[in-house]
Amino acid sequence: MELWNLYQNNYLIVFVFLCLGVILPVVALFLGKLLRPYKPYDTKYTTYESGIEPFHDSRVQFNVRYYIFALMFVIFDVETVFLYPWAVAYEKLGIFALIEMLIFVFMLVIGLVYAWKKKVLKWI
Amino acid sequence: MTLSGEFLAFMSLALVAVIGGVLLLNLTKVVHMVVALVFTFVSIAGIYVLLSAEFLAAVQILIYSGAITIIMLFGIMLTRHNDTSEPKTGRWRKLLLFLGVLGFAFAVYIGIYNLDLPAAPNDLHVNNTEQIGIELYSKFIIPFEVTSVLLLVALIGSIVLAKKDDEKEAEKE
Repeated sequence: MELWNLYQNNYLIVFVFLCLGVILPVVALFLGKLLRPYKPYDTKYTTYESGIEPFHDSRVQFNVRYYIFALMFVIFDVETVFLYPWAVAYEKLGIFALIEMLIFVFMLVIGLVYAWKKKVLKWI
Repeated sequence: MTLSGEFLAFMSLALVAVIGGVLLLNLTKVVHMVVALVFTFVSIAGIYVLLSAEFLAAVQILIYSGAITIIMLFGIMLTRHNDTSEPKTGRWRKLLLFLGVLGFAFAVYIGIYNLDLPAAPNDLHVNNTEQIGIELYSKFIIPFEVTSVLLLVALIGSIVLAKKDDEKEAEKE
């Protein structure tokens, strides 16, 4: 138990790094705000469009197609997560686990093939 | 309850999680909301670490603060965002909501105040991932395979839904 506490105390370093990661951009942006001159006028804030007067909102609605990419990323991410404990415990599980995992991966390959056939993977 | 480091860590993590959730509801810009949500997810991962479920913590970071956040951002980009917020609701509704929240809090308090869960001796912290692997792939095979079917259904379902829109757009053009 002593060793375990010692081990968990190491998470303090993780915490310190997490804090650094949060604080660094905040401080950098804040210092930038202090240092830079601030003289706003309208023409400065317009989008540069080769000298043509910009119109409409610059933010457009994205195509649904990109959402499928994100979703497929999530699904294969979940698959990877299942692969980790399998790989770690593989020595103790034997050949049956291999078959299980092959079935699992095969299921998702079906999905991938379906996506491929439907031409979802095409980047236009 | 003594004031130990673990208690302190749990309290701060829980606080960050709750504040993240409240900010998610109260902020006006959607991207800020997503950042608040990431804070909630990361602090929940910290709570998993406190419970010595380290693999689960890593998965929480990987799936939730990585992938789910991305999918939410995509969802935001897909919708029209004109940043118009709903008009504020009336005072009566707020009061009723507050009463509801109080009642819920009271019920939960009564439920958990005298709840005594005997701490089962476990050795979760020794080779956490390997333990999960052995349990998952020897005892829970069927749920695991059903999970793959679920993932497949999600993938194909999303493709069917999104592709249909695509064809309609192609017809329009």
